[in-house]
Amino acid sequence: MAFKRILIAALAATAVVSTASAANIAVIGGKNDDAFWNIIKKGVDDARLVVEANGGTVNYLRLQTYDNFAPDVVQLIQTAISQKVDGLVIPNWVPEGEDPAIKEATAAGIKVILMNAGGIDKARELGAINYVGSDEYIAGVAGGEYFFKNGKKNVLCVNTVPGAANLEARCKGVIDGISKAGGAGKQLPLPATSFGDATAVAEAIKATLLQDGGIDGVITISAGDADSAAIGVMQAGKTEGVLLGTFDLNQSGLDRIKDGTQGFAIDQQPYLQSLLAVTLLASAIDFGTDLPTSPLLTGPGIVDKGNIDATLAGVGKGAR
Amino acid sequence: MNTFSFSDLLRRPESGAVLGLLFVLVFFVIFGSVEFLKPAGAASWLNVAANLGIVAIPVGLLMISGELDISIGAMIPAGALTVGIISGQFGLPIWVGIAGALGLGVIVGLINGLLVVNTAVPSLIVTLGTLFAVQGLALGFSVLLTGTTSVALSPAESGAIAKALFGQFIGGGFQVTIFWWLLFTAVYVFYVHYSPFGNWLFAMGGDRVSARNAGIPTDKLTITLFVLSSVSAAFVGMCQAILFNVAQVSAGMTFIFNSIISVVVGGVLLTGGFGSVIGIFLGTITFAIVNQGIYFTSFDRNWSSLIIGAMLLLAVLMNNTFRIMALTYSPKKK
Repeated sequence: MAFKRILIAALAATAVVSTASAANIAVIGGKNDDAFWNIIKKGVDDARLVVEANGGTVNYLRLQTYDNFAPDVVQLIQTAISQKVDGLVIPNWVPEGEDPAIKEATAAGIKVILMNAGGIDKARELGAINYVGSDEYIAGVAGGEYFFKNGKKNVLCVNTVPGAANLEARCKGVIDGISKAGGAGKQLPLPATSFGDATAVAEAIKATLLQDGGIDGVITISAGDADSAAIGVMQAGKTEGVLLGTFDLNQSGLDRIKDGTQGFAIDQQPYLQSLLAVTLLASAIDFGTDLPTSPLLTGPGIVDKGNIDATLAGVGKGAR
Repeated sequence: MNTFSFSDLLRRPESGAVLGLLFVLVFFVIFGSVEFLKPAGAASWLNVAANLGIVAIPVGLLMISGELDISIGAMIPAGALTVGIISGQFGLPIWVGIAGALGLGVIVGLINGLLVVNTAVPSLIVTLGTLFAVQGLALGFSVLLTGTTSVALSPAESGAIAKALFGQFIGGGFQVTIFWWLLFTAVYVFYVHYSPFGNWLFAMGGDRVSARNAGIPTDKLTITLFVLSSVSAAFVGMCQAILFNVAQVSAGMTFIFNSIISVVVGGVLLTGGFGSVIGIFLGTITFAIVNQGIYFTSFDRNWSSLIIGAMLLLAVLMNNTFRIMALTYSPKKK
């Protein structure tokens, strides 16, 4: 009986997919317990309202684990193709693995948007219609410029994982941004023995600030490192003179921005990534719209004293 | 009998560690600056040493007894998250959070100890299993209960007393953790070197079967040591959460390697049966100086890891060479 019911349900679902006239969209995302991808889910859910209002459907396909990463992502793409969706929103995490499958999707007439990872060049190469996400380097430049606009001339970018391409791009962006504006910046690469040891990171930053009295801005490559940096800056007795910034958000960082011991945080605004990617794709499929803006950058969004209250409200609603 | 003998002093297990420590101190004073020995500079490495040292001593004692505990890498963030979730997220009194963190340490330590004693599986593998299991539990529960991997614990939630006891800076830059470290070290020195417990420990590391045949409660002792290391790791995590006002899932893994390095630099043999608490204490300071001293030099920071590696190797080599010389030395017959 149960089997029969499932069969009927499956047939009904197939019927819906093949007969619906509006866009059926599949979105591929990370694990359930990954906080970032739950913000993405909020964007998918909100975009779904628009898509369903026009008679379409949105299906959020999530990875169960990250242990068998590339094959699992490819499997999800194959699932989407076999469901005969009209549109696919996918992060290009592992180009080597995903590219052939994405090309297969475009060859099958599925419209694709790359989201979160990949970049516009990759999107063009694969025949995707756009890239919606952030660019680490551009985000870094915005951070560097923010320091200069707030009167800081000498910025230290603390990198706890030197060598990771995306993090190096963040620091390079910060250094280029402040340098072009007229200031100076340098990177502080920390040895692997300090990673995950909040005290070691804090003490490294404190020692560097004490040794180089000219530094008036510190930025960390992750929200967790900013927690250590805040203590390091305080222990160097420089909470007043040194502006602290970070990439990414967490609760304690937002609390510091609220009470004034941290200057700002750079957010890639994941909610916008899925919200915009899904609605953009649905509109392209249903109405033939073509957005000339590409790539569509969702970051950097800078959170500081000016918008902290609205940001905190967004955190409460699962959108930040 | 009690006449002072220089060769006896040199033959103590910790004298090699003193030499390693002096070597790195001199190195950083020459290539860095004396700032490094002044209070602000000293706080820089003492803070790191204290956090590491509280875990390194029980890990070292396990190594002396012939076992290894790498699950501490997951227990540190787990301890931090437990207090963060209980007191930060749910707003229960900080003492409940602290008790929860230490209680979790006892449970994981018991699991490690009982598994090692009752199965033939080497402790490296047992604690590798609990390392991943505890890490998974921490991540899973953190996201399930708080929706994030970084749980805030504000000073107001910690309260003034807990903040003063576990998470304050004294004299401008010294973490209060340093005093806990000194206190724990003193207690360990007493138990390991001035009570039967210590003799049992060394006997067990030398030859476990003979030790048991001689009536030493080896199982009980092993389980106690595993509980000590887990609780110590949870304690460090708890202190860090209260000090930094936040608990994070992705922390602590470096403590595994760093504590083993400190223990070996401190003169403990990887094969067990030889070592001392003071040696581990000095080894931890040596490691912390090497790790933090780099910021007082003018070396390009891209070379940090290379210098750390080379310095530690030199410290261990000096220590080893010296120990062999000291142990094979025979006084002239009169």
